[in-house]
Amino acid sequence: MLSADSQPSKSSIFNFYQLKRRYILIYLEAVKKYSEEELVSLLKNKDQSAFSYLYDNYSPVLLGIIYKMISDRVLAEDVLQEAFVKIWNNFSGYDSAKGRLFTWMLNITRNLTIDTIRSKSFKNQSKIRNDEKAVNNISDKTNAAESFDALGIRKNLTLLKDDQREIIELAYFRGFTQDEISKQLDIPLGTVKTKMRAAIIELRKVLTS
Amino acid sequence: MNKEDIISSGLLELYALGIASPEEKIQVERGLAEYPELRHELSAIEDSLETYAHAYTKQPPARIKEKIFEEISNEAAKKEPADGNHQPSAQILYRIPAFFKLAAAAMLLLLIGSIALSYLYYNRYKEADEKYNAASDQLQQANEKLKENDEANAAMKHELNLMSDKNALPVVLNGTPQAPDALAKIYWMKNNGDIYIDPTNLPPAPEGKQYQFWAIIDGKPIDGGMIRTENGVYRIQKMKSFGHADAFAITLENSGGGPVPHGKTYAMAKIL
Repeated sequence: MLSADSQPSKSSIFNFYQLKRRYILIYLEAVKKYSEEELVSLLKNKDQSAFSYLYDNYSPVLLGIIYKMISDRVLAEDVLQEAFVKIWNNFSGYDSAKGRLFTWMLNITRNLTIDTIRSKSFKNQSKIRNDEKAVNNISDKTNAAESFDALGIRKNLTLLKDDQREIIELAYFRGFTQDEISKQLDIPLGTVKTKMRAAIIELRKVLTS
Repeated sequence: MNKEDIISSGLLELYALGIASPEEKIQVERGLAEYPELRHELSAIEDSLETYAHAYTKQPPARIKEKIFEEISNEAAKKEPADGNHQPSAQILYRIPAFFKLAAAAMLLLLIGSIALSYLYYNRYKEADEKYNAASDQLQQANEKLKENDEANAAMKHELNLMSDKNALPVVLNGTPQAPDALAKIYWMKNNGDIYIDPTNLPPAPEGKQYQFWAIIDGKPIDGGMIRTENGVYRIQKMKSFGHADAFAITLENSGGGPVPHGKTYAMAKIL
């Protein structure tokens, strides 16, 4: 009680954001859901409520991917923030004829994450943060419990062969080039393509089963 | 490459994963533009990958969203004045450069300053002008007084000269029983017959009356002129000249006098 009184400005700002979020949630509930086309056209017109919807729907999956690459929760969140600002600013560059919105967003996010990994400050920080990793891993488990969907998907993914999962993850989550994948898995460059296709066909089967 | 070739080549998978080379990307995009069915195939691949990604979802803390919205709102606010939707052209057209604003302010200050100075100096001028007028009035008055004094001095000198003149014969006209206190004195110049009278000891003449001077020759009074006052004061003055006379007399007559005396005699002197 005393501490709450001593920081009235902070709590009022907090309330403002809570109110703002609640407003957005009420608004979204009324709209229910955007189709991808609607969402894209609204975002091209810099519609902030559409962006809020985009964030709510895609931030968890993008953060998951960043975290899989970086394994540092704080840094991953920074990258997520940077990625969404970039998505907002560069949205005019998205062309639906060339692929799905998620793929485009993932490419932006993945490139930013790779840039962060390659940056000097990350290399320095990662050493220091190794100790914190154990703590983060504990919270990982609680976070994982957040989504029943994720659990279901993960269960399905266990049906995938290890080498197939590995090749997908190297490309999808790590941003490895075909050349890098060929070296990592010690397979000829020419077969990366066919192996990848086989793995994704298998993935599609597994996910629809 | 036809659509079957593209599908079976694995290019779509590489494309969806974002690891297609630039050449492969061009091939896929060309195919997508040519065959709408390819889009369905690509979408199916993307869907499965997206689902895969969902296996690792992590809920970000709420503050991340707040920070993002803060950032994009700030950027929108920054950009707003620059974009052309809010009639900024009018603003730009009528914007006055800071230098001119400064110059205008400086000029206004100078104007106010010069008005204030003008007012101050006008007041000082008025004051000085009044002082000058007062001083020149005083000077004029002093000059007039000086002139008066000079004249008085000259008259006194003349009178003194008369009295000390060796030819002057002083004759005292004593008061008659009519006016025992009255007294007049004349200085009669023996060489030319000029007569100067000193009437200072005559009583003041009443309103409308004037003293007249007479010379009695062979028993007849001859007009010797009116005795004038100067601002109500008697001074020594020149009368008519007489070569000889038996007596002199002063009578009180109506103003202007007459050829023969009508009034009473106030003073008289017999010449022996």
